[in-house]
Amino acid sequence: MTQGVQRSRGRQRWRSRLHRLDRSVSPYLYVSPFFLLFAVFGLFPLAYTAVISTTAWSPRKPGSADVSVGLDNYTTLFADENFHNALINTLGIGLLSTGPQLLLALGIAHLLNYRLRGRIVLRMGVLLPYVTSVAAVALIFNQIFARDFGLVNWFLQPFADSPIDWRADEWSSWTAVAVMVTWHWTGYNALIYLAAMQTIPYDLYESASIDGASKWQQFWHITVPSLRPTIIFTVIVSTIGALQLFAEPFLFDATRNNNGGSQRQFQTIVLYLYQQFWTNGRYGYGAAIAWTLFLITVVIAAINFLLARRISSTK
Amino acid sequence: MPNAGRPMRAVVATLAVSALALTACGGGETAQSGDVTLTINVFGDNFSLPDNRTVYDEYERTHPSVKIVENRSDFGTHHKNLQARLTAGNGAADLEVVEVGQVAGFIGQPDKFVNFRGEGVDTAQWTDAIVARASTADKDALIGLPTDIGGLAVCYRTDLFAAAGLPTDRAAVSALWPTWKDYVDTGTKFLEKAPSGVKWFDAGGHVFTGILGGEKETFYDAGGELIVERNPAVRAAWDLSVKAIKAGQSAALPEFSPEWNTGFQRGQFATVTCPAWMMGYIQGNAAETTGKWDIAKIPGGSGNWGGSYVTVPSQGKHLKASVELAKWLTAPEQNVKLFKTIGNFPSQQSTWKTPEVAGFASPFFNNAPAGTIFPDSLAGAPAQVVGPESGVIGNIFAAALNSVEQGTSPEEAWSRTLADIKAAAG
Amino acid sequence: MSRIDAHTPRRHPPPIPGGTALGQSTRRHRQKRRGEGGLWITYGLLIAIVLISAFPLYWSVVVSSRDKSAIGRYPPPLVPGGNLWDNLQAAFTQGGFGIALVNSTIVAGTITMSVVFTSTLAGFAFAKLRFRGKNTLFGLVVATMLVPTQLAIIPLYIMVTQWFGWSNDLRGVIVPALVSAFGVFFMRQYIASAMPDELIEAGRMDGASTLRIYWSLVLPIARPGAAVLGLLIFITYWNDLFWPLILLNTSNPTVQVAIANTASGIEVDYSLVLAGTVIATFPILIVFLVLGRQIIGGIMQGAVKG
Repeated sequence: MTQGVQRSRGRQRWRSRLHRLDRSVSPYLYVSPFFLLFAVFGLFPLAYTAVISTTAWSPRKPGSADVSVGLDNYTTLFADENFHNALINTLGIGLLSTGPQLLLALGIAHLLNYRLRGRIVLRMGVLLPYVTSVAAVALIFNQIFARDFGLVNWFLQPFADSPIDWRADEWSSWTAVAVMVTWHWTGYNALIYLAAMQTIPYDLYESASIDGASKWQQFWHITVPSLRPTIIFTVIVSTIGALQLFAEPFLFDATRNNNGGSQRQFQTIVLYLYQQFWTNGRYGYGAAIAWTLFLITVVIAAINFLLARRISSTK
Repeated sequence: MPNAGRPMRAVVATLAVSALALTACGGGETAQSGDVTLTINVFGDNFSLPDNRTVYDEYERTHPSVKIVENRSDFGTHHKNLQARLTAGNGAADLEVVEVGQVAGFIGQPDKFVNFRGEGVDTAQWTDAIVARASTADKDALIGLPTDIGGLAVCYRTDLFAAAGLPTDRAAVSALWPTWKDYVDTGTKFLEKAPSGVKWFDAGGHVFTGILGGEKETFYDAGGELIVERNPAVRAAWDLSVKAIKAGQSAALPEFSPEWNTGFQRGQFATVTCPAWMMGYIQGNAAETTGKWDIAKIPGGSGNWGGSYVTVPSQGKHLKASVELAKWLTAPEQNVKLFKTIGNFPSQQSTWKTPEVAGFASPFFNNAPAGTIFPDSLAGAPAQVVGPESGVIGNIFAAALNSVEQGTSPEEAWSRTLADIKAAAG
Repeated sequence: MSRIDAHTPRRHPPPIPGGTALGQSTRRHRQKRRGEGGLWITYGLLIAIVLISAFPLYWSVVVSSRDKSAIGRYPPPLVPGGNLWDNLQAAFTQGGFGIALVNSTIVAGTITMSVVFTSTLAGFAFAKLRFRGKNTLFGLVVATMLVPTQLAIIPLYIMVTQWFGWSNDLRGVIVPALVSAFGVFFMRQYIASAMPDELIEAGRMDGASTLRIYWSLVLPIARPGAAVLGLLIFITYWNDLFWPLILLNTSNPTVQVAIANTASGIEVDYSLVLAGTVIATFPILIVFLVLGRQIIGGIMQGAVKG
């Protein structure tokens, strides 16, 4: 009898060792595909770009790849007026677009969550901007914000004495770009909120509406608190997206050299990077801009994250 | 319910593996030994139309072991990709077409291209100016063979001229503006009685480029120095363009945009600096204005806008065959054919005397003798000196003039422009 | 393994202002009327939003059913013309959209499956497993999201074309995108809020291995989130333009590259370009219909259990 107990205990010890191994090793196995692929295709190019940023490389000037200028690109960048301008543009457009976009998305997701008739069509419809091709978006918004014969100016005719040149001023171009960004991304964020809302039990809403709570009250007191992790997620992702805004200003730009407006009225940091790196062929300087943006993004995302943690812990 | 995912995942995994396997086989071509497939990258209708590749077919017929594959992309992407692929040493096509305004950016990298000087090409076919643009400063290397060319004239709306009390006959109109200053003065006269909402020209940037088209040294001097700031010709061109803009002569339309197309359709401007390919553009986008256009001489007598060169990147695997094809594509016979089917104006001087080219006149443009107007504008053009950032500087000036059109003070725009140029090219 | 009732613990509803048992009957009556009015407003708002969202797509169809000068016309045309079939045909023959559709399906499909798979795995690990360095590693994941795409283009291009030899090859588009920090972050948040810890503890007590827990417990609950992630990733890479534009040629394009190529040349036929965008959008709508049911299915699950 003792032998059988010994054997089963032995088996148990072997099994528990296996279990402990499983619990300690498998997490690393599960996250390794991500880190492995990222190391090859993300980390290495990143490091190489850092090296490029210390040179004066311009492909139009042969031999410049080997000219090392140390941190000169960064000091030039620090004093570069165009870079400051791009920073202000990015922050301005970001503020104009992120807040309204997320609030709108939250509201839309809340509405879509109800058992409405035809909700598949409505949910599909809300995501259509994200589905629409980049080329179509460019053409249509150019038509809407055209100076002489655009749709918006046509509406504003009775109120303004001369048509607004949307690309001419900061406020007008920022508004136009913010509208494009909001239009493009609201449905996307609404879908993310909607998915997260599925984890909220429906009977919470039922009992609340039996108790006489309006939809608005249900929204504030049930939906929003339960969605806290998702809201933090979308805020951080949207902030990063706002800092990296490229597609919409790029498409809105009528200049051929990616200037973001005749006087860089709406040139964001990444558009500036694209212009310097790609259009003007200043690889070294462009790499410095990219790395500086990366560092700025890290700082702002960290602040964002800490603030969000603060808010969620006080609540 | 919990296990519903498993068969899905198996299907998914199989699909993924087979997809990767498929793409692995898809890339290569099975060629018999001796057979060569040449790829050529273009940025528009350089040698073919989307439904018409007779030029390539003819070459394949006469050279049975060669197959030609064309890749098209849009102007900006094409040139940016070319630079990236040259830098990476990989990925460029066997032949790459480069536009005349962009070729300056590639001259500084002659080792990346086949030098046509050693390939038995008769460069006397073309004017010195055209050949010089694709040659290195010391004339040792020629990196591209010229295909089509733009030349420069002024396309004007006869009906709008008549409404404003200006002559409409093209000889009389050409006599109105022997110099660019006269052009601007004529514009002032035009605006006095012009129909409401109609401006003189489409964009200040085009006037600026037109004026500089008659200068030998613009942004760089013959020694390769950046002379933008101290070149009086540049400042004079700027001042004249600003004067015209301030006089309200510009419709301020960005080129090649839908708004520009609308401008053609609705007659928002009476004149436009017009290279040969602009004729096809106007016809395609403003078909209802047929018969209302005519062509007059460009102020200053000479200029050029647009045109391309065929280059052969040295990273290619079939250099000899590519050079043969390049020479054939830029031979006079082929270019006359291209002119007839596509409308690209040939750059080879001998073609200008052929009946097909010299006698060309289009009823859309009131039968103006385009076949002689454009070669005339090229004959007297100076061999312009270009530098590596000439294209970039041109774009900076275009944006600056656009900002003046939007209301910025010219002095502020000028100083910003110089700062930008120094940063980009200094 | 014992059947675990995957029942989310019932939370007490927070106190609702104005809700007492006494006032119930009168309030219910008032609530009903307010509810009805509220329903109309809800529908109205949503329909307005869907119309605004759908307008550009509708207008693409309008322009692609007309001729090339339609885009510059004023007032802009708002009603479809008769050329749609011709332009669609032209897009296929001239623009190479047949190959483009196949390529885009391969690219977006492969990337989606890989991203959902790796993100769910890693998201689960970060959300529910305990291991040393978890917070640092997760911080690293989030940090990688901060890297702008345009940052490393040249080195990546050199790497992909020279080291791997994937110039003009779909693998060059697929492989660098096989994992996504966004996906990991998203699934982590989703699993953290949707998956109760007690379930996992119960599974552990029953002696289940981590893989078993993942397969049988986590996956079903994570399905709606995974479906949403899959949909978003598929659309993202279906619409991706920048990187394929550099790597691929007209002979081997994705749909966005094919659209950009139809916009080449000095004289652009915008009706053809927009016909291309119509072709490009259709498959996604189909994918949405298929995966959309998954999302609805997940909702039904939640409703029944909750």
